[in-house]
Amino acid sequence: MSRPVDDGATAVLEVISPGLLSTIQDLGRPGLENVGVPIGGAADPVGLAVANLVLGNAPDMAAIECTLLGPELRVLRDVTVGIGGADLGGQVLRGGRRLPPGASHRLRAGEVLAFAAVEPDLGCRAYLAVPGGIDVPEVLGSKSTSLVGAFGGLQGRALRAGDRLQAHIGNAASAEVPWPADLGLPAQDAVVRVLSGPQATDADTAGIPETLAHLLGATWEVSHDSDRRGLRLDGPSLASLTLLADDPSQGVLPGAIQLTPSGQPIVLMPDGGTTGGYPVIAVVCAADLWLLGQLRPGSTVAFERIDAATARRAAEDLRQLVATAAERLSARLS
Amino acid sequence: MASGGAEPAARAGFAFRVEAFGDRGVLISISDHADVRSAARAHALAAAIERESGGRPGWRTPVSTATSVLLPVDPVEPGVDVALEDVQGWLARLPTPEIDERWSTEPAPLEIPVRYGGSDGPDLATVAELTGLTAAQVIELHAATPLRVLFLGFAPGFGYLGPLPPALLVPRRAAPRTRVPAGSVAIAGPHTAVYPVDSPGGWHLLGRTSMTLWDPLRTPPATLRPGDRVRFIPERPA
Repeated sequence: MSRPVDDGATAVLEVISPGLLSTIQDLGRPGLENVGVPIGGAADPVGLAVANLVLGNAPDMAAIECTLLGPELRVLRDVTVGIGGADLGGQVLRGGRRLPPGASHRLRAGEVLAFAAVEPDLGCRAYLAVPGGIDVPEVLGSKSTSLVGAFGGLQGRALRAGDRLQAHIGNAASAEVPWPADLGLPAQDAVVRVLSGPQATDADTAGIPETLAHLLGATWEVSHDSDRRGLRLDGPSLASLTLLADDPSQGVLPGAIQLTPSGQPIVLMPDGGTTGGYPVIAVVCAADLWLLGQLRPGSTVAFERIDAATARRAAEDLRQLVATAAERLSARLS
Repeated sequence: MASGGAEPAARAGFAFRVEAFGDRGVLISISDHADVRSAARAHALAAAIERESGGRPGWRTPVSTATSVLLPVDPVEPGVDVALEDVQGWLARLPTPEIDERWSTEPAPLEIPVRYGGSDGPDLATVAELTGLTAAQVIELHAATPLRVLFLGFAPGFGYLGPLPPALLVPRRAAPRTRVPAGSVAIAGPHTAVYPVDSPGGWHLLGRTSMTLWDPLRTPPATLRPGDRVRFIPERPA
């Protein structure tokens, strides 16, 4: 069960069933887009930070990202875990103890941790952190699983039954502490703030200004085809639209809202392609990127346009909120 | 190169449009036409800008394509408004960037062996039909075309190679495949490429190579570099 003590890593959790899509994620690999590597990383970086900070970890340590139907995990040795993001029904099986997000929880060897929500009320992804972070090799500067490139995380793939996850749990805080700030998970009708995209007012491309107005004026449903590459949005059709499918490619970033030739908008997610040929009509502001990671298929979303100054303040405010919460937690954990 | 009175675009090394990419990037457009010349210019401009921005907090590696350069920035520090001003300033001040000689020299191309057709290239017949060529002519033309790596994008190690001759221009497939096997050699529009890893894909598959074009544990992980010459070599079935 235990690994050799030479590097101090110990197997702490064993996967009984992996859930819908459970992967190891930190904040990904920014800076490699020029060789085609998507940034990747947690779809909800705030949820990742919460799971880590309630444990006393740094906010960007590698954790398990669980999607809608979370995994069932056997606890191999006494350990405190942190949970962030959406409430996917975390609980200790048989004991029935609930393990809500925004808190750390002490688990005992032999217990089974399960995420048993059939349909979560709010959000889409939960984060499960262990002291010191999940111990997997760093590949190209990150421990994140790149499903696109089949590397990183645990052998470049989603978790499977029988996988054992290791951690350096030596110096872990063992207090159970709550997250001291409003989690603000999206309810059914999320509003995501956007800036106009580089092709929003492109006079060369027929119909684009109207399509931005169309995007802002409608309520969209997150399609079940959505994944870590992109959110496809279903809504009123754009029949009058005529777009070139083979515009020259440009660099793109997560949160870019592309318009496909069929008129369906796609919001790029962390594993989306690094370049794209579809016009980018809007870009989700940095402060609301985490919200995209919590939009569940079937839920609705509307977009609100803001300017650059507002976006910058919002990004600062979000960082401040996390930093303040981290300070309060570290005071309680020390 | 910078002489008074020139358009900012001319002075600043080819840029003709500079705009914000939301609150996290600055997009510089070079050209509306994706060719070797504009790709070389985009990479030269990216390198010149990286010499200015490199080491400053909040500036990441530029992302070049055949027609543009995206400069991702931190939304708070520097923030997109300051980044836009900085870029405009650099473009006004910088001399026309020098194009790396890799783009103009003619070293021996990287030869990529390809098994054309059959289960390795399930779209060969479709491409023949769309172009009015025979399958043998498609192979001959594809393998005879001297190509350069215009840029990397879409997926890890995926190089956009071009330009293809007009006779080989086909649109993307109407319905993309959910899984294209690694090593597949494909064409769409003016570009051809090798899928370095299994991925979804909408290009027409002509064949397959066993050459590894992406290995995350290798330095550098991508085999192809922008500006490199490439040639496909038909491989006879064993």
